[in-house]
Amino acid sequence: MPRLIRRLRSLLDARVQAWIKRRQGIDSDPLLLHRRRIYILPTRLGLAYAAMLFGMVLGGMNYNNNLGLGLAFLLASLGLVTMHHCHGTLTGLGLRLLATESAFAGEPVQFRLLLENRAQAPRPRIELSANNVVQEVVDVPRDGSAPAQLQVVATRRGRIPLPRFTVATRHPLGLFRAWVVIHPEYAAIAWPKPAPRGLPPPGVETDTGGAQDRAKGDEDFAGLKPYQAGDSLGRIAWKAYARGQGLHTKQYAGTDVVSHVFDWDALPGLDTEPRLAQLCRWVLDAHEHGEAFGLRLPGVLIEPNIGTAHRQRCLTALAVFEPGGAHDSAS
Amino acid sequence: MTRPADDPMRGFGGALAALGLATAAHATSLPSWVVLLLVAIGTWRWIANRRGWPLPSKWLRGTIAILAALIVLGTYRTLNGIEAGTAFLALMAGVKLLETRSARDLTVIVFIAYFLLFAAMLRDQRLMHVPYLLAGTAFATAALMRVHAGSAGESWREVLQRTAVLLLQALPLALALFLLFPRLPGPFWGIAGKESARTGLSDEMMPGDVSDLSVSGDVAFRVRFYGDVPPPAQRYWRGPVLHEFDGRSWRRARGQAFPLQEVEFAGAPIDYQITLEPHDRPWILALDLPGEWPEREAYRGFDFQLLSPRPITDVASFSLRSYPNYRAGVMLPRSVRNKDLQLPTASNPRAVALGRALSARHGEPQAVVQAMLAMFREQPFVYTLQPPKLADNAMDEFLFQTRKGFCEHYASAFTLVMRAAGIPARVVTGYQGGEMNPIGGYLLVRQSDAHAWSEVWIDGRGWLRVDPTAAVAPERIERGLIGAMGDDEPVPGRLRQESALWFRVELTWDAMNDFWNERIVRFNAARQSDLLERLGFKEPDWRTLGLGLAASLAVFFLALSAYLGWKFREPSRDWPARLHAEASRKLKARGLALGPSEGPVAYLDRAAASCPDLARDLAEIRTVYVALRYGPRPTEADLRRLKHLVNRLRT
Repeated sequence: MPRLIRRLRSLLDARVQAWIKRRQGIDSDPLLLHRRRIYILPTRLGLAYAAMLFGMVLGGMNYNNNLGLGLAFLLASLGLVTMHHCHGTLTGLGLRLLATESAFAGEPVQFRLLLENRAQAPRPRIELSANNVVQEVVDVPRDGSAPAQLQVVATRRGRIPLPRFTVATRHPLGLFRAWVVIHPEYAAIAWPKPAPRGLPPPGVETDTGGAQDRAKGDEDFAGLKPYQAGDSLGRIAWKAYARGQGLHTKQYAGTDVVSHVFDWDALPGLDTEPRLAQLCRWVLDAHEHGEAFGLRLPGVLIEPNIGTAHRQRCLTALAVFEPGGAHDSAS
Repeated sequence: MTRPADDPMRGFGGALAALGLATAAHATSLPSWVVLLLVAIGTWRWIANRRGWPLPSKWLRGTIAILAALIVLGTYRTLNGIEAGTAFLALMAGVKLLETRSARDLTVIVFIAYFLLFAAMLRDQRLMHVPYLLAGTAFATAALMRVHAGSAGESWREVLQRTAVLLLQALPLALALFLLFPRLPGPFWGIAGKESARTGLSDEMMPGDVSDLSVSGDVAFRVRFYGDVPPPAQRYWRGPVLHEFDGRSWRRARGQAFPLQEVEFAGAPIDYQITLEPHDRPWILALDLPGEWPEREAYRGFDFQLLSPRPITDVASFSLRSYPNYRAGVMLPRSVRNKDLQLPTASNPRAVALGRALSARHGEPQAVVQAMLAMFREQPFVYTLQPPKLADNAMDEFLFQTRKGFCEHYASAFTLVMRAAGIPARVVTGYQGGEMNPIGGYLLVRQSDAHAWSEVWIDGRGWLRVDPTAAVAPERIERGLIGAMGDDEPVPGRLRQESALWFRVELTWDAMNDFWNERIVRFNAARQSDLLERLGFKEPDWRTLGLGLAASLAVFFLALSAYLGWKFREPSRDWPARLHAEASRKLKARGLALGPSEGPVAYLDRAAASCPDLARDLAEIRTVYVALRYGPRPTEADLRRLKHLVNRLRT
């Protein structure tokens, strides 16, 4: 019997959610919560409160006690007042999707949001929940904003869409819960889960990139190149910067001598996912060792380079790779 | 002290305090072990919360809950009724405290606090308790908010302020509900009797023992007269009639039914409404002698006392008609005669002998009465509230030795002597007098106005009231207790008589109580429909009430939505643009419309060129406007200046 009820409930829930989605469509970003899309229902505590008031009214009538009845009416009215306040707490709340943080498959990806309140009243106790789990409760100050995060466990690599989530509040007395269902169009990237260490990376390639041109001596200063985001801070030419020449990175001969290109075709005999996992492992290791590396996938070629941004680019290429897909670039 | 937003015990202190306040409202009526247990559990839980001690196991909690329920059941024999229900609820709150670990548990604690406050209101709805109970309700609400309001619940000051705002917003609808919610005549289920003792008349009178009633300044009842107010000498409020005398104390007639006697009324009636404070007895203190009363709410006993079918446990009011002139009884039934001639054997022999002697000397019953009154008047009898204590033959001692006493002594001695003289007589207790409250326009009768007098049967004239106290201390009847007492005797209200200001304060407070009783406590279905009729509804019924409720709800919802919309409004940030628009509206009136592709600055320049009288102002508007909109740091002062300039633009 309880199973049947649970199934009925989930069926009903699905129908309600489908109706809500039909009604609202995909949400824009940034989003301002309009009062028409805010739903509100009493909480369990609210129902208990109502039952208590019912008891009070009965008791007051039974004893012909107007003071007791007055209390019941005052509390009933108070409940309705808090219903409006609860609804008002969400109305006009702004929601902005700020950024995502990628993660490896199997780990949670983060979606960073900003809750914005331009009203002159605070909006306390805003709950964010996805998949019926409250993930964060934030207080948004008046005329201010508060950051919040939602995380979703990436069950696979690739684009992990931010699922339907709810923004809710039980403020001020916990008797009512107002909520908004949001259907965002937003995704984070989950990288392939790296393979365990073991397989050594393929040997140095000498015919790609320009790294070997400077690969004459070792650890000799070879000149400056303009700074790029991701270059190591330790290599910034601070003296040149102090002279007002702008940010430059020192290039040393011999540091970039090792330059890999991790090739899809170098791993025959493996399925797509293990292959990507192995490539991912190599990319991570190479980055960790400060080696330059490139990546070649069917239809994708990333020139050897170094730095965090480059690593990110390679990992993303691995994340969104579709075998046999007509990929030209995955940047 | 900041706590993480998701601390499950946030607001615990407040919830505990709310429960404490609500329980304190019952502190005097709850068994002391319940109060002690609650205090112990509350203290323990408080410390456990601070120190992080573990909570007791489910089994221990269950055992405590069942034990508590059983003990309450054993004490009260029921869980129904206010007293037992309150004790049970308080204990359950204690058990709940033992398992409190989340916001939901804390909320349940606050709900119990609400209900305990409600129970306190059921028990006593006198005005003097209202401020405490309302404050308790407000505090419980604040505690609830602290549990649920996140960081907005950090500062108590802010929480209390916000609670006050919520309650004030709730007040209008609460009032509408109070006035319009249909009142069904209760009770729906049995009301367990209350056992609390309240001050009031007793059905036993023991002259010689000290009565504390006479020194109580509490209000017994209030009377609103529809016509003239009867003079003090006619203000006899009839309470229990005492027939049985055992030599020492007087009691009501018990275990016997007596035939009713007919009453003939003469003269003008007195119409009035009497509002009794609860005294837990069925007596309605009607003016002597009640002639008409609401059939369902009262009946008149064989000795003419007006009674309610139920004990008066709450403020109750009755519309009555009394006649000061009456002939009570045409003939005396034998059973009543026997009852009211009964004398205890072998007690007060001298008083009995006096009665026999008077009868022998005067014969006529009326002459006997007069002779006895003359004795009180002429011999050195003293009216005092502090008489000496009397021994076994109390009446003998009083009549022939001490000769000091108050109404009870005189009425008792007089009645005894009359019976000895063969005249059926009885003691009537009640109240005598009362003072007018000029602020409220009603007569106020206090417990200290309690009085006792006699009634004798004279053939052909019926039962006659004889007040022997009046023979000794006529001023007691004319001017009340204070007037009758010597200056050195403590009398309630003497202070009041001496300080005009205090007198006024007291009368005002009493008038407020009266208003409270009349308008709030006694509000019922009849007054509800009166109110609607006065508001212009003809023959209001439940549909009118429903309509009224729906209308009030609609108005309330709209008003609150509008207010909240305003409260959560977006601040208007672009004042400069609005002021510029205002300026262009004014300039348009002079024929200078803003061109479709004209920028604000160019427009102001053109306007300044074509309106030389405004040129200086417009040039300044332009400067300030540019500074506000495009300048690095717009200031409030600039904005004020711009407002001022735009406002003074002439059209």
